[in-house]
This record gives sequence, structure tokens and C-alpha cells, in this order.
Amino acid sequence: MEAVLRHLTNILELLAVSQTDHVSEWDRHTTLRGFQWAEYCEQLHSRFQCNPAVRSALESALSDTNQRLQQALPSCSPVMFSELAQCQHMLLIHLLTNPSAPNSVIPILFPDPKTAAQDSQFDQNSLITCKSAFNLLCRTSDRTSYAGLHVEAVVRGKLLGNLLNSVLSRTGNDEYARTLLDSILHDSAGKPESLYDVIAAALLSPDDETNSVVPHFILAWLQEHDGCLSKLCKSLSPGLCTVISRQSREFKQAYWGVLKQWASCLEFDVLEGLWVPTSDEPVTFIILTDRFKDLLHSGPPLKEETETELKTLKREAGDFNVKGICIWTDVIIQLKL
Amino acid sequence: MMQGAHVDLLALNGIVQSQKAFLPMVSFISVCPRRLERMEAVSETDVQFWMAKVVNWGEATSCSALLDTSRHLGSLRSFLQQVLQGLQQMSSTSEAMKTFPFVGQFLGRLCWNPCVIADERSQRLLLRCLSCLYSAEPLNAVEQKANMWIKNMLCHLISEEEGSVAHATVKHAGLTPKRYHSEALQKVVSLMTEEVIKSCNGLPNTSARCSNGNIYVMSTACAALVTCPQMSPLIGALLKHSMLCGTSCLNQEFIKEVSEALISKRLVLEDEAVVNLWCYSPSCLEGAAVSLLESVLSDHETMTQSLDKHVNDSLLPQASADHCHIFLTVSEIYRNVLTEIDENLAVRALIQVFTVCFLQRLTGQKTQDRLPLRAFFPHVMPSLLPPLLTAPSEVPREAWLDHLIWIRSLLQSVMENEAGEDVRAYQAVFQAWFLLVQCGYWVDTAAELLVLAAPENAEPLLWLLTFFHHPTNRGHQRSQQTAEAREAWTHLRMLFLTRPPPPRHLSAVKELLSSSLSANLVLHLFLNFTVFSHGPVSIINEINDKVLTEAAVKRRALWILASIRCRLNSAATRDDRVHSRLRTLQDTLLQT
Repeated sequence: MEAVLRHLTNILELLAVSQTDHVSEWDRHTTLRGFQWAEYCEQLHSRFQCNPAVRSALESALSDTNQRLQQALPSCSPVMFSELAQCQHMLLIHLLTNPSAPNSVIPILFPDPKTAAQDSQFDQNSLITCKSAFNLLCRTSDRTSYAGLHVEAVVRGKLLGNLLNSVLSRTGNDEYARTLLDSILHDSAGKPESLYDVIAAALLSPDDETNSVVPHFILAWLQEHDGCLSKLCKSLSPGLCTVISRQSREFKQAYWGVLKQWASCLEFDVLEGLWVPTSDEPVTFIILTDRFKDLLHSGPPLKEETETELKTLKREAGDFNVKGICIWTDVIIQLKL
Repeated sequence: MMQGAHVDLLALNGIVQSQKAFLPMVSFISVCPRRLERMEAVSETDVQFWMAKVVNWGEATSCSALLDTSRHLGSLRSFLQQVLQGLQQMSSTSEAMKTFPFVGQFLGRLCWNPCVIADERSQRLLLRCLSCLYSAEPLNAVEQKANMWIKNMLCHLISEEEGSVAHATVKHAGLTPKRYHSEALQKVVSLMTEEVIKSCNGLPNTSARCSNGNIYVMSTACAALVTCPQMSPLIGALLKHSMLCGTSCLNQEFIKEVSEALISKRLVLEDEAVVNLWCYSPSCLEGAAVSLLESVLSDHETMTQSLDKHVNDSLLPQASADHCHIFLTVSEIYRNVLTEIDENLAVRALIQVFTVCFLQRLTGQKTQDRLPLRAFFPHVMPSLLPPLLTAPSEVPREAWLDHLIWIRSLLQSVMENEAGEDVRAYQAVFQAWFLLVQCGYWVDTAAELLVLAAPENAEPLLWLLTFFHHPTNRGHQRSQQTAEAREAWTHLRMLFLTRPPPPRHLSAVKELLSSSLSANLVLHLFLNFTVFSHGPVSIINEINDKVLTEAAVKRRALWILASIRCRLNSAATRDDRVHSRLRTLQDTLLQT
């Protein structure tokens, strides 16, 4: 174990150095050794990814090393455990993007396709082919086939769902799974709407509908992040939210919760005779009613459950039949229930 | 800086378009005549054409761009090959940039077109071009900038844009990017395959729009991806859809690429998908039939050993049994080939074996699905079908002679009409003869029987053999040919029945083999004697060694033995002695 931790530290140092100008001293031998170490590191990840005890030891070693390296070389980025699966790729990217990398190193990493063996460690052809084939096919697929989601989101969501499923299938990995989702959220800060699509697909992903581990986990994670669930529901279309609600009781409950929260942000403006938003949440009465309309159009049992829920809410709020006092009354009137 | 007589300035304008860093366009101020000479590798018109194309295609996001790209993939590859060759002749990147100023923009734009990148061959050519432009020891600013640009391109090709969901999900997926994308590709293929199959379930429908537009677009995308191994389920589903749909809703480029990839073995599809392709596209079927013929003709050593396996592996016999029109097309193609080169024993062997394999598949079908045989052989006199299409293995040995006499009398009646010199009469004889070629196992049987036949029974057998080898009465040589056949037979009987083998018969046989008129017939008879006569092996080997000396003769012998072997393989009983004779003879012929 000692040895493993030492190796891990070495690799991190290697990765850090590859981002600095010290890399100009690397020769062919050093480079190849570097990739060998990176490959070893990938094996570590694959062996211990789902093993909470060993993994947490590795994670704390990583954390210590990251801190230490950050102090010595502020420009280099910390490495998470989940990234170790792509160690060789990371190293390759560092060498490609580091202007100080020696010019002689690149041809080693991208050997002439004619002479290089197909299975060579540095053969990028199948990666490039699969990646562009995937992009190409995603573009040509009919957008409306998957509950309104784009097929790319569906695929990424399914893969994410599979990943979470395998991590959560062993006990003690909840924290790690949470870290994974946190990292993904952090790293896609540029485009949260696309991420929400992927999460929606992950919620829909289990091929076996009785397997509720992944949806349950994702929902719990969404609720831990302030406002995330609400943003997700806002970003997804009414139709999509309905589809997910049909498949997952938990999501249905959570979704209703979000809708209730949106309702509580609306106030009746007596002068205009309308329900208007009071906070920054850009939710209007129309949006709210559209959401419920979609739920009601979905068919049994969701339709009946939603009707019952609305009537309960109206009753608990005073059972008014006049407009302008209780939002639930107005919603019910609007939807002609 | 610059050396030599040419005065030119390289103006490096750093054009960096958002994330895309195109190699700065190198603009000439003056042109040196010597440089123009070098450009002959790549013509100016071609350059203009392709530059316009790649600018138009952009990132192939629109359907029309995708369609146009896929249409031009083949010719683009040729152009890239030329560019690569040009670049390989350059001694440095600077020189390359001077000689081919367009190359940076050109390669850069192509790297952003997934339709081009996804095509394996184009991808390799692109990367090799980039590799040529990379300098391990850059000598000036141009070369350093080129290096930087190339590294950027490579980065773009293997990773995602930072901050995107794609990047984030790949980064933390716990897999190498290669595995992630391989799984992603598999998933998208299975989702799209499901989509196509679902739309198949509604077919054939009377309402016109069965999402044909989408099928067309999908097939366009697939044209570039045909050799990607994960793609075969989707390709199969698209072909199945086209079969059920009835209208031509697949991209022509896609069909062409699939056909070529199948023939060159770069793609493996399920049998059903291949047959669907043949039903959908007659030119693909023709391609497959011709490809089988070519492969048989090109490798006589392997083919003569395992012709039936090779023919069955081509899927043509099975497809022919299931679809009458496929059998008719293939037969037609081979019949036409035979009229061009009618003395070719390899083609005859192929036709014979193909027909046998086809008939075997036919009997394997359920009775209610079976079409009458007449449907498969529409042009020939119907009374010929029962005797010829019944295999010798289905007839008891004792009845072979009578069966052959029956066949001969039917054929003779067809030939009686030939006397009228009517075109239709000629046709009838030709069709009958072609059927005999297809059912060549009966001719081989006649030859086998001749080995042990008594002289009074030989006449109909010799007639059949003569007709088989000389169907036309060209130059009115029929009587001469018949006489030669009898002469050959007589000599062979003497040669193989007398011990020791008399030299004068030996030399007579040799002479007949070398005379062009009936060489194949004599060889045919000779080989049957070798395999089926009862003499001691040593004597027979001795005779062989003396007779079969020339390489051309040995080659033709191998083909005749191939058909004998196929017939014996499906015989009712196996005679080990005969098989071992055959084996020994084949081995001897292959040795030299």
C-alpha cells in the first residue's frame, strides 16, 4: 500500500511537471516512462474505483499531494480521483498544450499512421473515429424521438446512469458518487441547461424500471444543492417532466414540491387582476398552469393523482371558490377541472 | 530568412477564428517560376474546387452539407492522396507552405468536418498530411507556428471543448476517452436502430411519409461510417427498412459504400442484411456475383481445393434459393461470361458448383415456400429439367446409364431443330447446353462411367461429352470431334487396362492433349481414368507424370478435378480409394 501511495504521488508530480516549463528537459525515454506510469495509474483507478476503503486512502493521498503541488506550482490544476481513469489522456493533452514541450516528443505520441501498429498505445484513430461518428450520428437523429430530449443527451445520460449504478451497487460509495456529480456540475458550469438534459436522461435511464437506486440518488443530490432542482425543472420542458414523473414516484413528489414552491412566489395583483411573480424566479401563472396542464394530459394514474393533489391543496388553503384569493383555486378554474 | 534568387515575402496574418486556429494563410507577393513547376502535383483548378467545397461544407451541420460531403468522400480521398504525395516531397515545412499555400486552411477546415474525420481512410490521410507539416526541429517562425497549430488540431480531434457538458461527462466517466466514445457510439447506434426498426413495423403503409426523410439523412451519415465495426446493426436495420418500404429512401453513396466495403471485406453484416442489400440494389448484386467470379479466377490453388465452401460463403446460393430474381440475375451474368470465354474450365466449374449449392439450399426450404423449378429456369425446354436437376447422388448407380441415355435423347431432340438455322433454334440449343453446364455433374458421371464401360454402351456417353465440350457445330466439325472422342477413349482404355502401359498409346494420348481441337475433352476423360480406374497406384502415377507435364495443362486439370471433387463430396456413399487418388493427384499437380 505504501508503494502504491508513493507511485500515486509520483504520477501527480509528473502530471504537474508536464504543465510547466520543466517539461522542456524531457526526452523520448522520459516521455515513454511517463506514459507507462500513467497507464499504471489507470489500472489503480479501475481496481479501486468501487472499493471505499482503498479509494479513500488514495483520495486523501491525492488531496495532500494536490495541496503541496499547488503551493509549489500554482499554475497546475488539482487532480481528482475520478480523473485518474484518463491519466494517459491527461498527460497527452498537457504535452500538446504546453508550449515548452520539446518538439521531438510529439511525433512519438502521434506515430505515422502508415507505419504504426493498430494496437499501439498511441493509436488515436479509433478514439477519433468513434468520437466523430458519435457526433455525426447525434446530428442526424430525429430530435423528437426521446421524450423531447436530444439523442446526445440521452446517450450521455444513460452512460452517467450506468456509472452511478455501478458505483452505488457497492456500499460505502455514496459520498464518492456525490463527488462525481459535484465535479460534473462544476466542470460544465458553462452550459447548465445541457447538463440538466443529461440528468433528466439519467433519471430515465435505468433499463429496469424497478431499479430506483439511481433516480433516488440523483434526486437526493439535486435537493442538496440549493435551487438546483428548481432550475432543472424550469429548464426541462413540461412534457419531459411529465414523462419522468410517470416513471418515478419520487420525482413526481419532488416535482410537485417545486411547483408548489413556484406557486408560493406568486401574488395576486388586485389592480391587474392577475397573479404576478414576486421574486426573481421567472415563473408566471401561465407557466405554472401549463405545467399542471401537461401533467393532467398524461393519462392514468398521473392524471387522477394530480387532480386529487390540486383539490387537496385548494381545500387545505381554505377551499375558496372565488378567484384572486387562493392560487390553487385559480389554477383549478383555469384548467377547468 | 529567404535565400536564393526568389524574392518573396511571407505575410503571416494570424487569423484565429474563435476556437478554430487555421494555419495563417500564406500569401505570395511574387511567384517564382520554379515554384510553379513543383505545383504540378496538385493542379490549381483542383485546389480552387476543393477549397470552395470545404468552405461551403463548414462543420457539415446542415443536411445538404452532409449530403454533399458524403458524395465527394471518394474523390476527396484521391485529392488528399495527391496532397500527401506533394507534401512528402518537400524538404521542410517552410518549403511546403510556400509550395502549397492553401494547405493550412484546407486541412484545418477538414478537421472540423465530422463526416470527413469519421471516414477512416480520410482521417488517416489527414493525419499523415499533418504529420508531414510538423517539424521535429523547427528552424523559423513559420515552422514553429505550424507546430503550434498542428498541436491545437490534434487536441481538438481527441478532446472536447472545456466547460461543455460533453467535456465534463467524459472527464469523470471513469473510463478512457476511447472506451467512453466507443460505448457512446454503441448506445447511439442501438437507439437509432430501434428507431428504424420501429418505423419498419408500420410498413408497408399506404400513407407516403413513413419518416423517409429521416431514413435518408441517417443513411447519408452512415455512408462515411460504413467500416466502423459498431455500425453494422444500424446498417442492417436501414437495409431491412428499405426492403419493407419498397421506395428508394436510402442515399446512393451509402449503398455504394456498403457494397464496396462488403466486397473488400472491410465490413461484416448479418446474412439477412446482405441479401436485403442485393434485393434493393441490382448493381450491388452484380458486384457480388462478379466479385465471386474474380476471386475464384484469381487464386486457382486455394479455389480448386475448396470451391464449394467458398461459393457457399459468398451467400449467393442461399440468397438465390430465397429470391428467384437473384438466381436469375447471377445465372445471367455467368452465362454472359461463358459466351465470352467459353473454353474456360474455371468458369464452368464455378457455374456447376454454384448450381449444386443452390439446389441443395432449395431442397432445404419448406415445401410451401418453394417455387416450381420452372421459375428458376424459364428459358429452357421444360422436359429437360427433371432429369438434369436430379443429382446423380439421388439416382441409384445402376440407373445412371439409362438416366444419361434419357438426357442424351432429350438433348438430341433439341438439336434436331437446329438444322433450320433459325435464331430461335440456336437459342434453344444454347439454353439446353447452358443447363448441361449448370448440371455438369451428369457430364462428370458420364466420364466416370466411360472408364469402365463396355464398348457397346460408350456411344451415348461419348456423345454427351462431345456435346458438352463442343456445343456448336462450328465449321461442321461435329463428326470429326465425335471421332476424336472415340479415338481418345480407345487409347485411354488401352493405356490404363494394359500392363505395362504401352508407349504408343501413351504418346497418342499426349498428342491428343496438345492438339487444340479437343484438348479439354481428352483431359476430362484422362483425369477420370486416373481417378476411377482400378489399376495399381504406382502405374497410374507413372502415367500421370509422363502425361501431365505442362503448367497450363496442370492448371486446367485442377479445375476439372475441383468439379469431380464437389460431386464426390455430395455422393451417397464415400469411396476412400477414389478420394485418396483424387487427393494425391491434386497434391502432385499443386507441387510445381
